[in-house]
Amino acid sequence: MVDRNRVTRRVFGAGVLATGLVGGAASGFAQGTPRRGGTLVATWGGGEPQACYVPAGGGSSPTFSSSKLFERLGNRAMDGQFQGELAESWKPAADFKSYIIKIRKGVKFHDGKDMTVDDVVYSISEIWKKYSAASALTDFTGVEAPDADTVVMTFSKPVPEFFFSSLLCGSVNYIVPKHVYAGSDPVTNPANNAPIATGPWKFKEWVRGSHFEYVKNENYWRKDMPYMDRLIIRYVRDPAGRAAAMEAGDIHIGVFNPVAPPDIKRLTATGKFVATPKGYEESVWSTTLECSMRNPVFAKREVRQAMFHAIDRNFLAKTIYYGYARPGTSPIYSPNKEFYTTDTFSTAFDPKKAAALLDAAGYPKKADGKRFAINLLAAGWFTENGKIGAYVKQALEDVGVAVNLSVPDRPTSIKRIYTDYDFDMAISNQANPSEPVPSTTQYFTTDGIKKGVPFRNANGYSNPEVDALVEKIKVETDPAKRKALVFQFQKIITTEAPLLPILELESITVASTRVQNHSNDPNYLAASWYDIWLAS
Amino acid sequence: MAGELASPAAPPRIARGSSRRAAALRLLRRRLIQAVPLMLGVVVINFVLIQLAPGSFLELMTAENQVSDPATIELLRKTYGLDDPVWLQLVKYIWALMQFDFGFSYRQNRPVIDAISDHLPATLLLMISSITLALAVGVSAGVVASVKVRTFWDSLVSVAAMFFFAAPGFWLGIMLIVLFSVKLGWLPVGGMMTIGDRSGAAGGVLDILHHLILPTLALGLFYAAIYTRVMRSSMLEVAQLDFVRTARAKGLSRNQVTISHVLRNALLPVVTILGVQMGTVLAGSVVIESVFSWPGVGSLLFDSVSSRNYPVVLGIMVLGSLVVIAANIAVDLVYMWLDPRIEIR
Repeated sequence: MVDRNRVTRRVFGAGVLATGLVGGAASGFAQGTPRRGGTLVATWGGGEPQACYVPAGGGSSPTFSSSKLFERLGNRAMDGQFQGELAESWKPAADFKSYIIKIRKGVKFHDGKDMTVDDVVYSISEIWKKYSAASALTDFTGVEAPDADTVVMTFSKPVPEFFFSSLLCGSVNYIVPKHVYAGSDPVTNPANNAPIATGPWKFKEWVRGSHFEYVKNENYWRKDMPYMDRLIIRYVRDPAGRAAAMEAGDIHIGVFNPVAPPDIKRLTATGKFVATPKGYEESVWSTTLECSMRNPVFAKREVRQAMFHAIDRNFLAKTIYYGYARPGTSPIYSPNKEFYTTDTFSTAFDPKKAAALLDAAGYPKKADGKRFAINLLAAGWFTENGKIGAYVKQALEDVGVAVNLSVPDRPTSIKRIYTDYDFDMAISNQANPSEPVPSTTQYFTTDGIKKGVPFRNANGYSNPEVDALVEKIKVETDPAKRKALVFQFQKIITTEAPLLPILELESITVASTRVQNHSNDPNYLAASWYDIWLAS
Repeated sequence: MAGELASPAAPPRIARGSSRRAAALRLLRRRLIQAVPLMLGVVVINFVLIQLAPGSFLELMTAENQVSDPATIELLRKTYGLDDPVWLQLVKYIWALMQFDFGFSYRQNRPVIDAISDHLPATLLLMISSITLALAVGVSAGVVASVKVRTFWDSLVSVAAMFFFAAPGFWLGIMLIVLFSVKLGWLPVGGMMTIGDRSGAAGGVLDILHHLILPTLALGLFYAAIYTRVMRSSMLEVAQLDFVRTARAKGLSRNQVTISHVLRNALLPVVTILGVQMGTVLAGSVVIESVFSWPGVGSLLFDSVSSRNYPVVLGIMVLGSLVVIAANIAVDLVYMWLDPRIEIR
């Protein structure tokens, strides 16, 4: 049974995420008696979504807009504990091949209809399995509702409890109304642009190019919540425009890097704003560098290691991200208290070692000072990637590798990296939750090589040892043993170096000091914000 | 189109009374006929250019929806008509356009015309207000500079025109926001209306006008600078012509000569430029809309290009071309009204 005590004991052990998160409490945590009423205006560091809700996720923008309306079965608290949301509890069978989920009673959709086990069964079998969690539910065999309060999910192999709890809390693994979606194509259902859900906010209006307007759900199952009457999600394309709007008081809170780093310092210096990196522990972003195994040059592990030794990650963090980043050391990111380890192979900045490795690998400098030439692609969806690309080009040329850099736009980058495999090295980005399977492991396993599917194994790395290890991680139900396996995975990957995060990015929320109860969820962009309020 | 004047060598034909109306109708008919191949060219060129761009909306859509099954991708390709040869896709698109069907945006799950209709009024409002401002300021400042030539006022107008011509629109926009919204708090930072404003129709119009001021200034002042320079030199040139000297000799006051004789004739180059620049005003609005979060076609176009949402991109190009063609026809008609001696070929 997943209640607060048991999950803490079984899955997390002592301490878990609490250390360093709650300890340095953000100023967004509640101060005083919550004030009811009013309108909160929020924004984020990106553009308007293609639809308010995209069943497969569709990226951060629709996740931000839909997560205020929809809810999941479970949620993860800042202290690392899993807790029920639309589920009251869940527990595994003795063989871990099935899980019993108790559904919360008294929950209504925004149109007044009751949420039932039928909605849960439909959401899992038709939405999760086909769209939002397809890659995680490979061993899923079925779901049924034996009674009006219970849903049972079955699997062909044992499923670790941490994996299952993470699945229930997956950022877009929502419970959708069967009576709205059944019999339709969920991807093109008109309700995606005016959703009916169970969350604290009800959809009212979408003024395209401008904002969403949500109003308080008077029938919300959490008693007397939300505090505020209205939530506006406003879209401002230009970061400078967002900074000005916040300064003028038009926007109260911006998540996921709403303004440029210099503006963060300027706004917080006024004393009217706070900036916090909290609220991104379950969606840590990184900048990755990967070597295509399709280029024979990178067949030798020493060459791949040399590429990483040539790059000064501290320099990148300080100059390109103004300190809002830190060097990446492992495919599991440092905020991941369950699985991160420092016991990895180090490819720290050491150009001399890089040169020596290349010499030893059979690529000495030729008469023109070059060893070999590569095509480096920096995915242009983040401006910083182009700057990192320019640095990496110089750094590699310093050790005798000629680099042809290109920085294509988002669609072209996706096509060239994940469909055409048209790169020798690529600078890209990932955002991963704590559970490493499959979001992290699919970048390294052979079954992660899926031509045309982005954010998987594009470099063609295939290692039977890694594949076997990941299969063990998938089914190991003992938390301590599973943790040891993930540590082993990190050691192998950092040594093999087909793809490594060169930077862990620090995402920032900027909020007016009037905003209370913000940044209190480890994936705050995707949280429902049911308890946010605005001080007078 | 505007600017295609009768050769200076040929004696001007002066249309009078009802024949002027007939000439205008002839012009309108001719321009409309010319617009057909022009539009066809716009559609073909844009269609081909979009096809040449790497990446497709299908790839992006399957990426965002994590679709990896080749059979599903092939089914989607067929559903969206992408399995047809490019020439057939083009023919189908043109055929649909002839029936006023701009296609369907699968990314937004709605007809293209609906997607554009949500944004077009905002862009047209911004364009019209900016052009109006540019004309009003440009013509006035140009007249003042020419009347007060080689004085302090002339220098002031020239320096101001140079400044607004050189200042990038996005920079000017941000500076206006910092000054009037952040520091003084007089005007809104962005958007087209106050969210949740319930002040009724009249209040709503005032609210929109309030939001319109800064983006209009940011977009319009650049064009005002151009019109100022053109108007000044045109005024000075016309003032040297014989008919002006004759008007003065007949005893007309300086103001009468300036307004009734010089100004009207000096406007012709400004009107010519106005027609030519209609397309650049539309393009300029893309940047200004971004700075001011103005919910116009610019932001939709930006998103659509970024997501390779070809039906919407093409729809905007076609509608944008229609707006530019219509504006140019209007300019031609204004041209005829301003100078009856001229018959535009």
